[in-house]
Amino acid sequence: MKYTPRPITENVNVSKTSPLREFFTLLLGILAFLVGVYVLLGLTVDLVAPRISPRLEDRLAGLFTSFYAAEDPASPQRARLQALLDDLSAAAGQDERQYQVHVVPDPLVNAVALPGGHIVLFSGLLDQVASENELAMILGHELGHFGNRDHLKGLGRGLVLVFLSAAALGVDSKASRMLQSLLVTTEMRFSRKQELLADAWGLELLVRKYGHAGGASDFFRRVHEQEGGKRFSYLFATHPYPEKRVRSIEMFISEREIPVGETVPFSRQSP
Amino acid sequence: MADLLILMGLIALGYFAGSATERRHYRSISKREEAFLHLPAVTFRSHGSLADASESRLVTGCAVISVDYFKRILAGLRALVGGRVKAYESLLDRARREAVLRMKEADPTADIIVNTRIETSSISKGGSNRQSVSTIEALAYGTAIHVKKKGT
Repeated sequence: MKYTPRPITENVNVSKTSPLREFFTLLLGILAFLVGVYVLLGLTVDLVAPRISPRLEDRLAGLFTSFYAAEDPASPQRARLQALLDDLSAAAGQDERQYQVHVVPDPLVNAVALPGGHIVLFSGLLDQVASENELAMILGHELGHFGNRDHLKGLGRGLVLVFLSAAALGVDSKASRMLQSLLVTTEMRFSRKQELLADAWGLELLVRKYGHAGGASDFFRRVHEQEGGKRFSYLFATHPYPEKRVRSIEMFISEREIPVGETVPFSRQSP
Repeated sequence: MADLLILMGLIALGYFAGSATERRHYRSISKREEAFLHLPAVTFRSHGSLADASESRLVTGCAVISVDYFKRILAGLRALVGGRVKAYESLLDRARREAVLRMKEADPTADIIVNTRIETSSISKGGSNRQSVSTIEALAYGTAIHVKKKGT
């Protein structure tokens, strides 16, 4: 047998498809599937959330303790906020739940309603507050989220996503931990409609406590004035424009002919 | 967000650096294969009666090739849905051809290499650490035969 040397010109062992194309096809396909399942399960969660019992909710609350781990429980401010919150929740009479307020040192101008009746105020928000009435409006707003069970709806969807990522990528994988950290920032927000409903709830409580609606929209107006023309940053935010909130609160006040009275001053330093 | 950017950066690095390395390696492989065309490596168990062999010896060639980050992610995505892991085909192909070339380079004056075998093993196999790098090794070995020159 004669040996004829021949170079390899055709390689059957390596596919000639583009790896980039394969990468994006797979990535988009898998993402589309996950989004589909997420939306479907999310819809179910919206049905389930109002039926979760307070006892089950208290057990879920353990997942979120990291949110207020940094708070200072001995601060005199906290006692005052807690008293205000107790007044409001008594005025609402919505349930026997013991609501707790936490103050976390963070420049964020925001407040969060967490499962188990915990309301977290970031100190950045307290810096902006000028009167007790504004504070009551904000706390009432968060109570509104509890009343409408918004906090569970947000959490429920989040749980679905955590579950999905853990099932697909493993509980301890980098990607699923990344998703969970994203969740904390995205999922605990509520839709604009939910925010406006909670505003109405807060206003109701404010009027019950003080007998007038003074200070209801002051805080949001101040935030709006400070942000100036930065409309674009609100494009993707879930909170409505502060401007729109102010308008809807004021419309509510004038429709119901609620009196507007003097506000009680509040500053961070006062005990 | 920072995590996502780092991940995307690593994937891009893996893709560009990985495909550049692969192209360079394939250029080198085809050049050296061309140069070694005179030395056949065959899978026969013997060369004729071996009566005309003046010398025979074991030759081995071994190559270790690592996966890049892009291929790793691509294979991870592929693992979710199943199918051919095309991303790893070129790695194995390069490892096998490099190993055969190194085996030939181990005895460039031989007349033929018989009983050539190629084995592959995964170096990271069985590691408990999930972060370990997937790397494959190809080992080619055979018997190099020198034929008696006429008149000696």
